[in-house]
Amino acid sequence: MDTLEKAVDRVLSGDRSAFQQIVDATSQKLVRLGARIMGNQADAEDVVQEAYVKAYRALTAGEFDRRASVNTWLYRIVVNGAIDAKRSRTRRAESSDEQVDPGWDGAARAEARLALSELDDWLQALPAEQRAALVLQSMEGLNNTEIAQVMGVSEGAVEQRLVRARATLRQKREQS
Amino acid sequence: MSEPEDFEQRLARLSGATNALRPSAGFSARVMLAIEHEAAPSFLETTWFSARRLLPVAAIATAMAVLWAVQVDGSVDDELAASYASMELE
Repeated sequence: MDTLEKAVDRVLSGDRSAFQQIVDATSQKLVRLGARIMGNQADAEDVVQEAYVKAYRALTAGEFDRRASVNTWLYRIVVNGAIDAKRSRTRRAESSDEQVDPGWDGAARAEARLALSELDDWLQALPAEQRAALVLQSMEGLNNTEIAQVMGVSEGAVEQRLVRARATLRQKREQS
Repeated sequence: MSEPEDFEQRLARLSGATNALRPSAGFSARVMLAIEHEAAPSFLETTWFSARRLLPVAAIATAMAVLWAVQVDGSVDDELAASYASMELE
């Protein structure tokens, strides 16, 4: 049993502090995933925070059935939250007074933000589900079976979303 | 002149460049605060649970009060009847 599964067991037995372990172990990749889908780190943090609260609520209500791994389950909550938020929310301006992690190199941060902005502009033309599928495949390295599990759809639906996403982006490139 | 970057190359470049993204300072603490808030019962929940615990006591008290009222009412009727009877005798 891995560390995350053990932490889940501790949360289930009433140890709320064990949830901190889950957050510490997963927040970096979940925020990165959220940012790639949302195109904005501040919105991504909102989505991921909401996802953790939903996950905690589901855990304590006994709704996590362990059919998927903790990682896949968290990915699913974040992706669904990001798709919903992307559909409904207007983009939040990045705040300049945001607290920066002191351990994070400033140049790397600036480069990452620039790349995120470029990615957001590029993928703007895609519907949220297609964008999420493309990010999961090409940036998170998931295969179609894993994407289907995360998105709660068939592999055929995943394939269709990816084909459409690529076609839209190629068409956009030819037009420009 | 260099070849324009193709689709997959662009995805790979942006993927690499955004790999360094990480949560802002204090993110984990904010999440745990939200969890604490979630775990703490709301005012309505607290009131409802307290009220639910008092419900049997309130039901018994109400039943006793009704019983007492009926008894008092009965004894008042008896006393009134007795006083009317004595007035009639006079």
